[in-house]
Order: sequence, then C-alpha cells, then structure tokens
Amino acid sequence: MTAESPIMYNLQSASPRQFIRVTCQLLLASWLILAQFSGASGAAATPVLTGTTATGIRIEIYSDLDPLLINQIHTWYIRVLDANGAPLQAQMSISGGMPEHDHGMPTAPQITRQLDNGDYQLEGMRFHMPGLWQLLFELTINGAEETAVIDFRL
Amino acid sequence: MKKLLLIFITFLITGFLAWDYLALPVSRDWSPTEVALIHSLSLSALPPLLADSSNSVSDNEQAVELGHQLFFDTRMSGSGKVSCATCHQPDLMFTDGIALAVGNGIGTRNTPSLAGISYSPWFYWDGRKDSQWAQALAPIEAGHEHNFSRVQVAQLIANDSSYKSQYEALFGELIDVDGVPSSATPLGTPDQQTQWSSLTTESQTNISRLFSNVGKVLAAYQRQILPGISRFDAYAQSLAADTDAGSNPSNVLNGTEIAGLRLFIDKGQCVSCHNGPLFTNHEFHNTGILSVAGQLPAMGRYDGIRTAQQDPFNCVGEFSDASSTQCSELRFARTANDLVSAHKTPTLRNVSLTAPYMHGGQIASLRAVLQHYNSAPVSMLSHNEAKPLGLRTVELRQLEAFLLTLTAPLATPAKWLQAP
Repeated sequence: MTAESPIMYNLQSASPRQFIRVTCQLLLASWLILAQFSGASGAAATPVLTGTTATGIRIEIYSDLDPLLINQIHTWYIRVLDANGAPLQAQMSISGGMPEHDHGMPTAPQITRQLDNGDYQLEGMRFHMPGLWQLLFELTINGAEETAVIDFRL
Repeated sequence: MKKLLLIFITFLITGFLAWDYLALPVSRDWSPTEVALIHSLSLSALPPLLADSSNSVSDNEQAVELGHQLFFDTRMSGSGKVSCATCHQPDLMFTDGIALAVGNGIGTRNTPSLAGISYSPWFYWDGRKDSQWAQALAPIEAGHEHNFSRVQVAQLIANDSSYKSQYEALFGELIDVDGVPSSATPLGTPDQQTQWSSLTTESQTNISRLFSNVGKVLAAYQRQILPGISRFDAYAQSLAADTDAGSNPSNVLNGTEIAGLRLFIDKGQCVSCHNGPLFTNHEFHNTGILSVAGQLPAMGRYDGIRTAQQDPFNCVGEFSDASSTQCSELRFARTANDLVSAHKTPTLRNVSLTAPYMHGGQIASLRAVLQHYNSAPVSMLSHNEAKPLGLRTVELRQLEAFLLTLTAPLATPAKWLQAP
C-alpha cells in the first residue's frame, strides 16, 4: 500500500480538490466492482434468444458472446419469467443439437450458479456448425414440469 | 431394330458422360447470406490469437526464441537425430509428406500441419491434449518419436549455458538434476517408471514443472506459425468490396473455382465442419475413414477426452497457469458414445501441400478424399456422420479446384521457418 492509495487519505484534512478526486476514484472502483459481479457479467442488455412454454412462461437468454458465433466457447445467462414478467425459481436441464444433421452439441454445458438477480449462469456453450440449431429447455417450477423449444439459425 | 437399339445405347452413354463430366453454367452472383458465409471463411474474419491462460509465457518473445531453438534441436532425442522439425517440416507446412510420422520409429498417426493450430482448444487427432504446451510434451517422451525423458530434457537445458540462461530468465533458477536417473519418466518402460518412482514427490514435481515449462516455450514458438492470405481470401475481400460498391463480383477466382466454392458452402456440405477462417470447427467427427492398415479401428475422441481429463498437464492441473474457471473447454467437454471413432477436423488451408490425408494418412490424394466424402461409406465403428453427396465427377473437380485456392505462404517471419 503506498501513501498515494485512496484509502490512506484522511478525508477530513483533505483539500476540496483531493476530496473530489478521491470520491471519483471510489465511485469508479465501486462501479468496476459492481460491473464485475452484477448479473450482466458482460452480457448484453437485450436477449440473444427467447422462448415460451405452453403455459406462457418466458425464457430470456443473455450471452457474453453477442451476436452468437460458431466455434467460440461462452457463457449464457438465463432468465425465467412468469406471464407478468416476474422472475421464477426453476430447476432446468438444457439439451440441444442440429436436427438437420442428427447430432447434439459439441460441449456439455452446465448451470453453474444462480446470480443475485435470479439469472441462471450456463457455462460451456459452443456451437460448431452454421445452420439450424434447436435447444430443449426442461424446467421444473414449483413441482410442475414445463418445456420450451428454441430454434435458431447460425 | 438392332441399329436403333445401338443408337439408343450410344445416346444413353454419351448423355451420362456429358452429365457427369461437363460443367453447367454457374452463377457468379452471391446472395447476402452467401457473401456473409464466404466472409466468415476468410482470414480477415480471423480474430487475433488470444493468450493461452494456461501458459504464462505464450506471448513472451524470449519464450518464442527459446522455443524456436528447441523445436529444431535434435539433441532433444534419444538418438540425437530427431527434433520437432523432423516431422513438422516448415517446407511442407509443418507436415512431413508421409502417411505415418517417422521419428525414432514409425508412429501411428499422420503429422498434422501446425499452421493456425494454436487457435484450436484441442490437440492430437483424438483431442487428448487441451493445450499446445501439453501437446508438445508427449512426443518428447514417446518411444517412437523423440524417445527422450523429462530428466534428459532438464539435463540438456542445464548443460547448455545458453539454454540455461534463457530458461532462468523466464522461469527462475533451474533445478539441480545431478544424480537423478536420466531416463526416469512416469510414461516410459517399466524400468523407467521404477526409476521415476524412486524419486521423491518433490523431485518429481520439480522435474515435471521444468518439463512443462519447456512445453510452454515450444508452444510460444508454434503460435507464430500462422496461415497467409490466399487467393480465396483475396476473392472474399474483393467480393465484399464489390458488394459494397454495388458492382459485379470480381474475377480473382476462375469459373471452376467459384463453382467449387459454391459446392463447398452448399451442396457439398463441406462448410458444416470445415468452417471459420481456418476451415475447421476444431471438433471431432466420425466420417467413416478406414482404420490404418494393421491397426484396430481407433476409438478417437471417445478415448481422447478421457485421456485429457486424466492428464496431469491439463488446464486444471498443477502445471497449468490458468484458474479452473478459465478451463471451460475441459470442464464442459462431452464424453458421449457418439464420439467413438471421431477425429479432429483438420484445417483446409494449404491442404494441397499436406498430403496424405486423414488421421493415419489413409487417403493419398485430395481427389480421393473428395470421392470418399461423395460416397460416405459405412463406418467401421459407430456411425458415419456424413451422408452420400451424389456429386458428379465435374463437381468433384470443381471442389478440388476451389481447395487449391487455399494455398498461400505462411504469414510467419522467415526467421521462424528455418533452424536458428
């Protein structure tokens, strides 16, 4: 720790200029820390994919790789919402593949944690071919099973 | 009546030959989707090579220098005659032109090109290594390749004052291996393994760490080996420029080559696996290749991923510089049964210079490779993912003509393409 470090300042004896500088530094540091741990985690503000179950439960997928590209491993953040847009707690499994080529995904992605904002972090996503992809979401919400199929083309 | 029948048969044969061998007029116009797909294959779409988080010296210039010297050093072999460059020859796009690699003995696999391979998350035909530095270690200790040991590598570095100073500048003080049995390795013969077992755990770890550092400098050097701009890339670039200007596509490629490109991205389905700027998805597929003569059909990626998961030099192991969260490819790799006999999609860049083809060099020529995919034979193990294409002879020639447009000198400074 050097004497220049912001937390070594005595704010009461600091000049207004120093005070503003330290405040700005603290705000910047706070913003960086929040950005690091927030639900967004580098994902865009708009979903890359969306889907709906038969009962109207909505799935929104945010990605730290946006737009989606082939051959790059990346992470998704999955938001499960009821018909009114309120987040839902869900257990889910995700499988997928290319129906036109009769094969699955090249990786075995897993939900690795739930973020503070309720999003589910899905790591290990990668697509290895251009063309039609199909993902199957199997959700269990309050004991009820729901499914959603999301088709998209890369 | 007989005469009429003869005329009819002659007509049929002539018609078939004409259909099979004559080219139909092919449009030179591309849809916006096709232009985008063609652009995705060009080198202009290749992102910069990211640092390898498991290799702290992956972009270190001193590491590149030391790796370059070691890559060409035949002293790093039991016979004193084999180096990495014995099989990875710069003049042949870092391949060797033969079906099965020959080092200290005859190997079991075809030597892949190194151009652009640093972009791959997996190494070896079966993906049994998850980093380039971990890959670089295995041939050194393989009996049929360098036939050396990690202790001998340590001794080589220690006894060469230039290597020693370069190594220590990168990794700190070199460990002392005086008195350690020189052929000790956990991977060798039973005698070698016994010698290895006689060492303390600390000594084993120190020696393996030095060995892993040698792999890391070898990888740093190999990351310099990158493909150069080919005629196809020039075509893709001019196509994008022409499209922007609203004029006709350019004539960088001739009609046959353009017809081949159209087949490549459409009816030939080549782009399903040979995609992206390196013409590979870095994935594993069973395409019904016969086993190597004298070998059982290979289990391919099914075994390869299991080996990678157990490898002490993998991304989550103690010799890796990555945190486990940076090891997504390994942590989320599939292990399913459909990986039986699946082998890695090789790059097609410079494919005209890297014959013979496939994991065991089973297919001698590019034309024969195209015929293989056209017929899509039944796989010896599991199932062939490819389906018969039904392409005509002329179409196979067009595809071949297109593949030849992917040849170009490497985008690598000349000093790295020769022994130091």
